[in-house]
Amino acid sequence: MNTAMAAAATAGESIGSATMLVSNYVFPNDLHVHWSMMIVLYPYITGLVDGAFIIAALYYLFNVKSLEPVARFSLLFALAFLCCATLPLLLHLTRPERNLNMLLTPSPSSAMAGFGYIYAVSMGVLVFIVLFVYRPVLVALRSTSRGWLQMVYRIITFDSMDLSRKSLQLDAKIIRFLVGIGIPIAVVLHGYVGFIFGGVKANPTWSTPLMPVIFLFSACVSGIAAIILAYILVRKLRGRSINHSAITTMTRTLTLFFILAFCFEMLEVFSHTYLKSGYHHMVEGLLNGPLASSFWLWQVKICSVIPLILLGVMGLFRLRQGIYNLLAAVVSAILLLQVLIMRWNVVIGGQLMSKSARGYTEFHPQWWDKEGIVAVIVVMAIPFCILWGLGKIFPFWAGQGK
Amino acid sequence: MGLSYKMRLVAVVVVMGIAVAGGLFVKGLVKPASFGVYGHYRADAIEEETLIPIRHATNTSCYTCHPYEARIHKTGLHKTISCEFCHGPWADHVAGNKKIGTLPVKKNKEITTLCLRCHNTEIKARPHEVIKTVAMPEHLASQKVKLTHNCNQCHHVHAPLKYINRAKQITGLGEKKL
Amino acid sequence: MKTDQEKRDFLKKVLNGTIAGSLYLVMPMAALTMGTGDTPQDPKGPDISKLPEQVPGIRGKAYNILEQEFAFVVDITRCIGCGACCVADQQEYNVPEGNYRTWVERYVKGFSDQVYVDAPNGGLDGYQTPRSDIDEWIRDTFFVPKLCNMCKEAPCVQVCPVGATFTTPDGFVLVDHDRCVGCAYCIQACPYSVRYIHPETKTVDKCTWCYHRVRKGLLPACVEVCPTGARKFGSLKDKNSEVYKILKGPGVLTVLKPEMGTWPALYYKGARREVV
Repeated sequence: MNTAMAAAATAGESIGSATMLVSNYVFPNDLHVHWSMMIVLYPYITGLVDGAFIIAALYYLFNVKSLEPVARFSLLFALAFLCCATLPLLLHLTRPERNLNMLLTPSPSSAMAGFGYIYAVSMGVLVFIVLFVYRPVLVALRSTSRGWLQMVYRIITFDSMDLSRKSLQLDAKIIRFLVGIGIPIAVVLHGYVGFIFGGVKANPTWSTPLMPVIFLFSACVSGIAAIILAYILVRKLRGRSINHSAITTMTRTLTLFFILAFCFEMLEVFSHTYLKSGYHHMVEGLLNGPLASSFWLWQVKICSVIPLILLGVMGLFRLRQGIYNLLAAVVSAILLLQVLIMRWNVVIGGQLMSKSARGYTEFHPQWWDKEGIVAVIVVMAIPFCILWGLGKIFPFWAGQGK
Repeated sequence: MGLSYKMRLVAVVVVMGIAVAGGLFVKGLVKPASFGVYGHYRADAIEEETLIPIRHATNTSCYTCHPYEARIHKTGLHKTISCEFCHGPWADHVAGNKKIGTLPVKKNKEITTLCLRCHNTEIKARPHEVIKTVAMPEHLASQKVKLTHNCNQCHHVHAPLKYINRAKQITGLGEKKL
Repeated sequence: MKTDQEKRDFLKKVLNGTIAGSLYLVMPMAALTMGTGDTPQDPKGPDISKLPEQVPGIRGKAYNILEQEFAFVVDITRCIGCGACCVADQQEYNVPEGNYRTWVERYVKGFSDQVYVDAPNGGLDGYQTPRSDIDEWIRDTFFVPKLCNMCKEAPCVQVCPVGATFTTPDGFVLVDHDRCVGCAYCIQACPYSVRYIHPETKTVDKCTWCYHRVRKGLLPACVEVCPTGARKFGSLKDKNSEVYKILKGPGVLTVLKPEMGTWPALYYKGARREVV
């Protein structure tokens, strides 16, 4: 209670509608924030998967030819992150050894119960897409390897060495089909997370029908930004050229998704302010109080308005290639931060409000907790290690042997 | 095997279908017993909840071994107070009809603190038709009693007005202001 | 149970400790009994036949779980904030420090219509001193006990992904400590903040209206020890019970956060509009 009382002075002074919050009262069980940094990371990771998948889908399904240089890379990027999607959840559960209960007795009324099956299906679809896209490379690798490795290659190429035009055409059709069903699956993979929050009527910041939409659009933003930044960095580190038309197309897609995401985020906040219904004073108090810095200053001013201006400049003016690529990388880095901060503000910020409607609690990230800062860094580093490993088997860039 | 590429793919799809069906079959097998009897949960969990040990045994069980205190407590204004609130739960005292521990009895200043927990008039939220409250040390001063006195030096803790009423009877003095 | 043991042996043989062998972790385990206290105690508890039948109609016959209905009434006009209920609850279940199955709040209303609420240690130590930080004249003050509302449409039950929390046919919302994975979704979903994660079992825990006592015809511990009758519990199938008369009688009863659509079975008598 003392920490909550300490928060009283600061929270009380900077509140807009002050009538309810001169004295800070938090329900005794509300002092602890249960969904911590791992639950911030989980939607972030599935969001990166979704955004990367969008790039691949634009090429494989919608035939946006300018994205050819990054299409394969996006698939591998999505796969690397999808492999790690369960990690933050396992670290969060207090009884992780029982995690299979989600698969064995999923409750039909619970949004969270969908996780096991949705994840399994999306993993299956993505793995098959990668196998079909890279089949020629894998068949070549099968011929040049021996022993158990050769057996692995045989299995994942369906024990076929047929690379005739007809079978490659069949492959292309299958890829289109899989990507086609992959899009709604990816939407559900990240959308259900948004719905987990949107469906909690007890929490006024979370319960809104806009929540899955906001999550999805900002997910796409993070994924596309990640591909732009990763593409530029990896190519620069290997001393290779950057395909300008790919960057341009991706930046334009990013602009579109970001405008939508930002509009929905702001619409949500302004709806609360305009409607002034129910617990809006708590939401306002939250955004103007404990989250004043992380929401208005960081999420909106630094990480949304500045990228909007930069994207506007990039879209409206003709810029030199080098400057354009540099700005693209900078904007992508800022937007990756924006999406992470947005997830933080929703997940952790939403829990700072007590259900007493009369106070706010505090969250102090720990360094060495299983959901702590070091754990977050490790969990975010693992997909990059996987990506590096995948790059050893599946070349990132089309038209390259290994 | 001499299957064409297309047929191999069909075979893969069939194998996956069988694997999914097999998985669903195994899922049905390992469903816990009693799951789904009343709803999407393990019905056995209801009976398991009833196995939690009972630790408070009501005043009646205290009275069976403590008839002296029982006689006084039952007739006093404190008869609605649970013995286990001031002294501790039954389960810390008795097991299998044998005493396994001694329950604490408050003494001296602890008694005053405990009494004031309910009877302190400074906590205004106590409806006066439900409970009589006093302010300390004003109450002692108004009763012309030494300010270092504890509550139980005038009030019997189990029946707070027992001595007071008897004293009034003996002295013939009427109602006094608290 | 014999069939479960057979299943266990079969799986153990076939799967031989492979990863899939962890499936047998999800088989029903021995019941976790809680509230064992520091002293060794008799798991059978007190001799129920010697205790008064506080909830009539339950003892002496087979319990028909499909035909019961209970209600809990909290009378704000009688609560004196002694905290006996909190102490009894903490003792009955050995609730760990910092977590609360039930608690008592103190509301203070000033003449400026400002409402000040506090609950030092959940009311476990009672209220020994008045609030010292209020700078205006006080108009009204009262205590509000809080506990699980046993919602008839419980949001916690709806969101549990594994069926670890559920509503029994007799209307109690309970937690299956053998299935809970600790995702804490139910804690987020509960509008009344009555749930917490138990630091020892690492599963979710909450007030159960002392189901294990009610099933033996005893009152919940907090109702038992309440000295003023601010907490009332009874069966709505018993027309002579106090709660039946209150619920079916003419008085005004309210519930907490009715706009949430949870339909609580916990009713408040005499609660003011400031109570959230």
